[in-house]
Amino acid sequence: MSADKSTQKVTLTSNEGTNVEVDRAVAERSMLIKNLIDDLGDEAIIGGAIPIPNVNDPVLRKVIEWCEHHRNDAAQTADDENDNRKKTTDIDEWDQKFMQVDQEMLFEIILAANYLDIKALLDVGCKTVANMIKGKSPEEIRKTFNITNDFTREEEEQIRRENEWAEDR
Amino acid sequence: MPAAGFMGMPMKDDIDTTWTYLHDGITMIMTNLQQGIDLKAYMGIYTAVHNFCISQKASTFTLQTQGMGTGQRGAHLLGEDLYRKLTDYLSNHLQGLVIESAGHTDEALLSFYIREWQRYTDAAKYIHHLFQYLNRHWVRREIEEGKKHIYDVYTLHLVQWRDVLFTKVWEKVMAAVLKLVEKQRNGETIEHNQIKQVVDSFVSLGLDDGDASKTTLDVYRYHFERPFLDATKLFYQNESKQFVAENSVVEYMKKAETRLSEEEERVKLYLHPDIAFSLKKTCNTALIADHSTVLRDEFQVLLDNDREEDMARMYSLLSRIPEGLDPLRTKFETHVRNAGLAAVAKVASDADKLEPKVYVDALLEIHTQYQGLVKRAFRDEPEFTRSLDNACREFVNRNDVCKSGSNKSPELLAKYTDVLLRKSSTGVEDTELENTLVQIMTVFKYIEDKDVFQKFYSRMLARRLVHSNSSSDDAETSMISKLKEACGFEYTNKLQRMFQDMQISKDLNSGFREHVQAVGSKGLDSTYSILGTGFWPLTPPGTNFNPPGEVAADCERFSRFYKNKHDGRKLTWLWQLCKGEVKANYVKNAKMPYTFQVSIYQMAILLLFNEKDKNTYEELSSTTQLNNEALDPSLGILLKAKVLNLDTSGGSASKVGPGAVFALNYDFKSKKYRVNLNVGMKAETKQEEAETNKTIEEDRKLLLQSAIVRIMKARKRMKHQQLVSETINQIRARFVPKVSDIKKCIEILLDKEYLERLEDDDIGYLA
Repeated sequence: MSADKSTQKVTLTSNEGTNVEVDRAVAERSMLIKNLIDDLGDEAIIGGAIPIPNVNDPVLRKVIEWCEHHRNDAAQTADDENDNRKKTTDIDEWDQKFMQVDQEMLFEIILAANYLDIKALLDVGCKTVANMIKGKSPEEIRKTFNITNDFTREEEEQIRRENEWAEDR
Repeated sequence: MPAAGFMGMPMKDDIDTTWTYLHDGITMIMTNLQQGIDLKAYMGIYTAVHNFCISQKASTFTLQTQGMGTGQRGAHLLGEDLYRKLTDYLSNHLQGLVIESAGHTDEALLSFYIREWQRYTDAAKYIHHLFQYLNRHWVRREIEEGKKHIYDVYTLHLVQWRDVLFTKVWEKVMAAVLKLVEKQRNGETIEHNQIKQVVDSFVSLGLDDGDASKTTLDVYRYHFERPFLDATKLFYQNESKQFVAENSVVEYMKKAETRLSEEEERVKLYLHPDIAFSLKKTCNTALIADHSTVLRDEFQVLLDNDREEDMARMYSLLSRIPEGLDPLRTKFETHVRNAGLAAVAKVASDADKLEPKVYVDALLEIHTQYQGLVKRAFRDEPEFTRSLDNACREFVNRNDVCKSGSNKSPELLAKYTDVLLRKSSTGVEDTELENTLVQIMTVFKYIEDKDVFQKFYSRMLARRLVHSNSSSDDAETSMISKLKEACGFEYTNKLQRMFQDMQISKDLNSGFREHVQAVGSKGLDSTYSILGTGFWPLTPPGTNFNPPGEVAADCERFSRFYKNKHDGRKLTWLWQLCKGEVKANYVKNAKMPYTFQVSIYQMAILLLFNEKDKNTYEELSSTTQLNNEALDPSLGILLKAKVLNLDTSGGSASKVGPGAVFALNYDFKSKKYRVNLNVGMKAETKQEEAETNKTIEEDRKLLLQSAIVRIMKARKRMKHQQLVSETINQIRARFVPKVSDIKKCIEILLDKEYLERLEDDDIGYLA
């Protein structure tokens, strides 16, 4: 029965209206979709496609690629806040490769993961960004993320003073 | 499907348009969920919540359009507006329900409450999922920051239900529930599933304000349990009062039993297990404790009429309330004691001729009867067993038979044991014998003067062993091990040594026989028993005795043999216990010589007639050296059996005593060829009894003194009063000492300077 369910097909409709068909087990990496199927029942997804209005086709496919790879991971638990996984910025090899995308796509993935409630993917995304920041000076960070410095000189000086304790010396 | 027209998705940053959109969706879920909600609507609502929560930041904070799109400083999360709107919506919805509920009462109200609760909580689950984004970000942050009264969306639904609806309607709902339960208690069939659902609903509302993830039973306890228990109490108070007035106590007990099990069933069927304990307590009070006096008064009637089943019922009822059984135990104890005393009185009309078996059987019968009752009606409860024991101890030790002397019980018990263990013509099955011995031990357990039993028992065991008329070694050993188990090693030490002596003697005799054969001397066919002086309750003969030559020679030989083996031991001959057989070859008209079984004294007398046919009393007395106390009874039996005749021809005395002349009867006749002439006289056993009783008093004094010395040796210094009570404690297993006796013994020990008097009523130990 559960084997039947996991290979049952679920159709997702992207922002542009394109349909992607995936196994139910894959789709259910998203808590949003899992709850939806739980609430509406199996019949609801047999005939109809689930609209994903906030995600466009390339990003949706990318996200599904990740879910396919992680389809057999342990189910996401409500409270694994204290999980060690969270505290390190280590990312497993496959995920690292997966995240080798342009910045635009990276942020889209993070937003989609947040929207679809795929915690593990959100974590990987945020860790990737964290690794991009690590060891960089503010100027380098601004350059990396293409951020305009809108602090005044005084503001900047004050922030530096406040955070002096954290400087690496 | 084009993104723009998606379900008429609202502008992301405008609360009013967003809410308008959400409102319709929520209303549909709330009121029309069974119609189903489609995928688009579901995703639409979720997305609207999501979009609202991420968009408003933009309007409040610096907008970064490059790269990441929206950026923000700090981690301010949005959603409060949405949360408030939802709260208001729920509040409105529930107020509507409150108004609607006013139109219903009783079962209709229950149906309404349950239906709306079901619908509401189903919707809550959906809305919780649809607002998951709010939960995950805004709500979580608020809670983490320690904000009070912010809950996840599902909990918010429950809180609103409780605060808006529940507070207004719970009393009416409970009234309906209680009405329904009363109907059921009155025998109607009800739909108890409704009550179960109400219970579940009340339980769900138990939210811990401190930690929303936890639940408490407070709401349920206050709003459900409390009124439920009150109603239960009232119902049963009224019912039982009426029932008791109109029915017998036994009928009432049955009724109460049924009611109690009904209530237990009720808990399983549709109540929360939490109520089980207090409901039971309430029922116990109303049904049992309030009527306990009536119940207890009936107990004596039930006892008198052996109504075992009803007593079991009463037991199980009263055992449910604290201290419910104490009065029963007291009554039971008195009843058993009286029954025991009555049973003894019945057989004790002539205490002197009382058969030990009849007496012991009377005691056992009562014990067996009431032990059975304790087992069947009182579940073998230890407290009742103790009451039984107390009663038995009373009637075993203080009854009509014991009036003549408190030693009577142990004495009769020991005698009965002796009857059982002695060889008898009526063979008893081994297993039956063992069972009877077990029963003996039952009575023994209650005997207070265990030392008396020991005295009599060891005397009778000695007799059985010396005369080798014990029915079986196995039975003897079994009895001794039972006594040992009951009273310890010390109690049976001597008994066991007596047994050992007999075994050693057996080996010794075969050694002696070999020795005699080896040296080739011709002796008597003799057997000797060597009995250790300290262990046997035997005393040397009270008369001088000059054994016949043949016997003396054999004894001499044995003495040498024994002393050779065990140098330095002194042998004292217990002539009064010796016996033998002689063949009467002289009797005329006998086809076969008679064999007489005789005591050694009788043997010595008879052997003198080998020399001449007539002997005077004086001749017999001087040759045998027996004093008249030993000589007279021995002669008496020989005369009675007509082995000897008094010869009065020469004008000599016509009764046994100085001046009498005895002649051998050549015309002796007997139906049997073996004639037992070695029969003890009644007077002899009577005397023995008296002696035993006398030594008991002496032994008790010694036992007390040794206990006192033992205690003082360990404690060195003690208050007089303490010493007395400690002595009582130590000695109680053997007999119940009198305080005055203990004081006397302390005096004796002070005189002997084992102890000394110190200041302040203290006693000290002198090494």
